[in-house]
Amino acid sequence: MMSFSLWDIVRNLLIGGALTLLLSLVAFVLGGATGLLVLLARIGKWRAPRALAQMHIELFQGTPLLLQLFTLFFGLSLFGLDVPAWLAAGLGLTLFTSAFLAEIWRGCVEAVPRGQWEASSCLAMTYWEQMRHVILPQAMRMSIAPTVGFAVQVVKGTAVTSIIGFAELTKTGSMIANATYQPFLVYSLVALGYFILCYPLSHYAKSLERKLHAAR
Amino acid sequence: MPLVSTNRLHKFFGKNHVLRGIKLDVEEGEVVTIVGRSGSGKSTLLRTLNGLESIDDGIIEVDGAKLEVDCADAASLRALRLKVGMVFQQFNLFPHLSAGQNVMLAPQVVKGAAKNETEDIARRMLERVGLSEKFDAFPDQLSGGQQQRVAIARALAMSPKVLLCDEITSALDPELVNEVLGVVRQLASEGMTLIMVTHEMRFAREVSDKLVFMHEGKIHESGDPQAMFAKPETPEFASFIGSLN
Repeated sequence: MMSFSLWDIVRNLLIGGALTLLLSLVAFVLGGATGLLVLLARIGKWRAPRALAQMHIELFQGTPLLLQLFTLFFGLSLFGLDVPAWLAAGLGLTLFTSAFLAEIWRGCVEAVPRGQWEASSCLAMTYWEQMRHVILPQAMRMSIAPTVGFAVQVVKGTAVTSIIGFAELTKTGSMIANATYQPFLVYSLVALGYFILCYPLSHYAKSLERKLHAAR
Repeated sequence: MPLVSTNRLHKFFGKNHVLRGIKLDVEEGEVVTIVGRSGSGKSTLLRTLNGLESIDDGIIEVDGAKLEVDCADAASLRALRLKVGMVFQQFNLFPHLSAGQNVMLAPQVVKGAAKNETEDIARRMLERVGLSEKFDAFPDQLSGGQQQRVAIARALAMSPKVLLCDEITSALDPELVNEVLGVVRQLASEGMTLIMVTHEMRFAREVSDKLVFMHEGKIHESGDPQAMFAKPETPEFASFIGSLN
């Protein structure tokens, strides 16, 4: 029987951890960009994009991430599209993130007092001028803390992609646990890995919240 | 030809008929004060004059810019708003911008003026309201009175033909009211056309050329403020003045 040193385990987990980090970053950046488009459609004046955005949000908020990934991974291959695990994972998390961020940000846009709309209307600004110069800058400031807070959810959400075989931290952990017969040790290390990624984020979110609230 | 004129103005909030056929003419350089009990429609009337409230019937015309019920599109709204400035009870300054930037924003964005040009305008406007040294201060660093004066400067920077003031001293601490009224008095003496809603009756009497008393969505009595206060024509206005003391 092969034996594994602790370093063997940790080394492999570090590689998985790096992929988790990469996947989180991709999901967050692309999801953020998509989320911004969904947001603009959702709060805009045109009816069709608004309905589409609403559907997008309800679909991805109303179904488990796991099933979204299954649908992408297995569903698309039914149509002859060979979707590699990394692509399904990246795409799935991006869509999931975009729906939640769009909704978080919509809350922030709607929290900007009505007087700001009225004052900028009186100055003859158009809708987009108001958005660009008055509403979004204020909404953005409010959104920083909840957005960073949601980033924690994205990092933890990446664990689900292990089910479709993407070798991020959790998948790597389960493979090592099977090989070493030391599930408690390995999964504890895996959990520690997530904690190391998430703790600074949630700490940062909290301090941002304090700072931005104090400034109001 | 009056600068501002409205005719047959009607407005409903649901089933509530808040404006019942308003005809109001304001000449250039005139200072008009609208008074009345709460719920009489005075603020609503003011807010229809720049399209913040839509109208259900009638016509509004300000210096050639027309707003009618069936053609209240974005272009005519914009044309109207370029002529009409407004100052609010709650100031509504943009909190993420400095005083100077608050004043500069609209000329820059709406009129497409160059930055150095708008900065020049902003400095002049802030000086006009006595706040030239506060160019870089943010709204939360200013007192209520100062914020309101910045809001006036911001409206003036668009060189409006008429300025609407909606209870602009009502949210201020008593000791800050006078600095704002001082600015309004100065604007009036410079010939600015003003339409205001206020509870400062003494001030209204002093600076207004015309007083408009609103009652149940209609202009119930209007005319020279001194004469109206000395000899009210309607029992409603008499009881309104009576309730002030």
